[in-house]
Amino acid sequence: MARTRSKGGAASTSADKTTSTTAKSASTSAYTLPAESSNPPKLFVLPKDASSSARIITLENPRYGKPTRYLVCPENGSFYEFTKIAPPNKSTPRSWLLSSTEKASILESQTIQSPELYLATPYDPLFLLLPALFTSSSNLIPNTDRHFSEILTLPNSQVEKALESRLVSVCDCVELSDDKMYRPNDSKLSSVILSKARKMAENLPPSMEEKFIKKALEAPVMGIDSVSSETQSTTNSTSTAPSAISTAPTTPSTSPPSEPTFAPAITASPAIVSLQRLRTSLNFILSSYLPPSLSKALQSSLPSDTFAPLEEYLSQLSKLRAEAAASRSNDINGGKRARDEEDDERLEKKRKMEQEDKVKKANTSRGVKQLAKVDTKGMMKLSAFFKKKA
Amino acid sequence: MLEARLATASLFKKTVDAIKDLVQDCNFDCNDSGIALQAMDNSHVALVSMMLKAESFSPFRCDRNIALGVNLTSLTKVLRAAGSEDVLTLKAEDAPDVLNLVFENSDSDRISEYDLKLMDIDQEHLGIPDTEYAATITMPSAEFKRITTDLMAMSESVTIEASKDGVKFSSTGDIGNGSITLRQHTNVEKPSEAIDIELSEPVALTFSLKYLTNFCKAQPLSAQVKLCLSAEVPLMVEYALEGNSYLRFYLAPKIGDEE
Repeated sequence: MARTRSKGGAASTSADKTTSTTAKSASTSAYTLPAESSNPPKLFVLPKDASSSARIITLENPRYGKPTRYLVCPENGSFYEFTKIAPPNKSTPRSWLLSSTEKASILESQTIQSPELYLATPYDPLFLLLPALFTSSSNLIPNTDRHFSEILTLPNSQVEKALESRLVSVCDCVELSDDKMYRPNDSKLSSVILSKARKMAENLPPSMEEKFIKKALEAPVMGIDSVSSETQSTTNSTSTAPSAISTAPTTPSTSPPSEPTFAPAITASPAIVSLQRLRTSLNFILSSYLPPSLSKALQSSLPSDTFAPLEEYLSQLSKLRAEAAASRSNDINGGKRARDEEDDERLEKKRKMEQEDKVKKANTSRGVKQLAKVDTKGMMKLSAFFKKKA
Repeated sequence: MLEARLATASLFKKTVDAIKDLVQDCNFDCNDSGIALQAMDNSHVALVSMMLKAESFSPFRCDRNIALGVNLTSLTKVLRAAGSEDVLTLKAEDAPDVLNLVFENSDSDRISEYDLKLMDIDQEHLGIPDTEYAATITMPSAEFKRITTDLMAMSESVTIEASKDGVKFSSTGDIGNGSITLRQHTNVEKPSEAIDIELSEPVALTFSLKYLTNFCKAQPLSAQVKLCLSAEVPLMVEYALEGNSYLRFYLAPKIGDEE
């Protein structure tokens, strides 16, 4: 994908127009700050190969059912969705400073207050078709959606062709005389989605890799004891894809116990890691591009053994985590060490009390000690005779 | 600040000795009239009230009220270092952490100085009213001490019976019984040996002998002791000191314990 600034970009969208007009106003008042635009320009990165006839259109989002903007280029029939990139921390003020790369004067540069960047990324129009095809209630989109139908009728539009080719991938096609009839095919759809997920899994962005793959598969770190090494060996025997990497650190389970080392109790084999990647990608696609009802149906229609080894690993992992958490909490309130400490504390207290008593006794005269033994039965307290002084 | 100088340390030594067997910790309340002390024993059946008037010291200086919380056993230990004929000076700041004691021996020019750590003691004070007692017996303090010691052999309690015939101390115990009767008696040559009984009405009360023997620790302080009794009020045992100072003990009578 080429990076193009919306200003002067190939596509002449409405957003582009506002950008160029403000640019002009900025250049006229050279040394004073131009008045703030009521309709501030936005920064877009548009595809290089989008033709000048490309339009931003509003279509119903297949996932959320809300009107959403898409960039459509009718000449090559490609669809693009916009991804908004915003700074994570809203409190820090940010803005764009744009200047042309040619040696134009600095006056031609401009600032955009809002720090957002809209990225047009290729979008499979198949997703737009899915609600109409696979959910029973909805009718065909083109009739209800003005933008869509307009796009279809644009001169030398390739949109219809592109849509048709996508349609074929998920439908059985029957030709009756001159008419082509399409019947949605669930298994075709699921294979298409799966292949998309596979492709995505090949190249997950690092942030997703860290959060959904590494963190999710990470086993709690424990000092190796008999329990964890046992579980390690069992995972290896059950894991369907034995791998050199995961077996290497676990071989000591048969050898005499060595020094306690701090290592994760179990490690995921590459097969399991790739399964986790696939599942993460699939979940991402299902949860952001498909209508909720359809994604649910698709999920259940997947062959049950697809993720079986992964499931097994995950259940093992959750057990280990629970164990680790339990042992941690034991350390805090009920563990042996804690109990010992408590005993120590009690002994310490006792010792202190004894010492205090000793000091007290040493500071008590014999007479006072003897008086303590005196039977004072029948003797009233002096406060019964003498009133307390204020 | 407090600065009190006693010509002889023995007065203070003996006073503290007498009190330390009844109470453990107590406050010495110092003000311009002197040093006072009031404390009850742990069982709260006996009370000691000490008043060392400013006249007993020379000089005595105390600008404001100062409470000196002292462990009497510790004070005794320090006072043991003082010779009875030493000149004793007590000193303390206005909000003191320590009580400073200086013992000076004029013969040998020896000066010893001690700082005794003080403590915070929460003590309640009882207001003791001036009472017209039914019987007031003045007798040699040594005699009173002997009576209590002798009767201890018989029982743990003694009945003091004052009548126009005299005063009778009697005890009945497991091994038998015994009594000592004293009559009014004057001694011109040795006034301190005299026995004086003032009686407005006959009175008979029973007291714990152990407490009385304990009071007798104050015997070295004074040659004479005064016992004041009235029905159903505490017995007062007073040791008068020079310069209107005194050491008084009060003891609750035993009531309804006839067996």
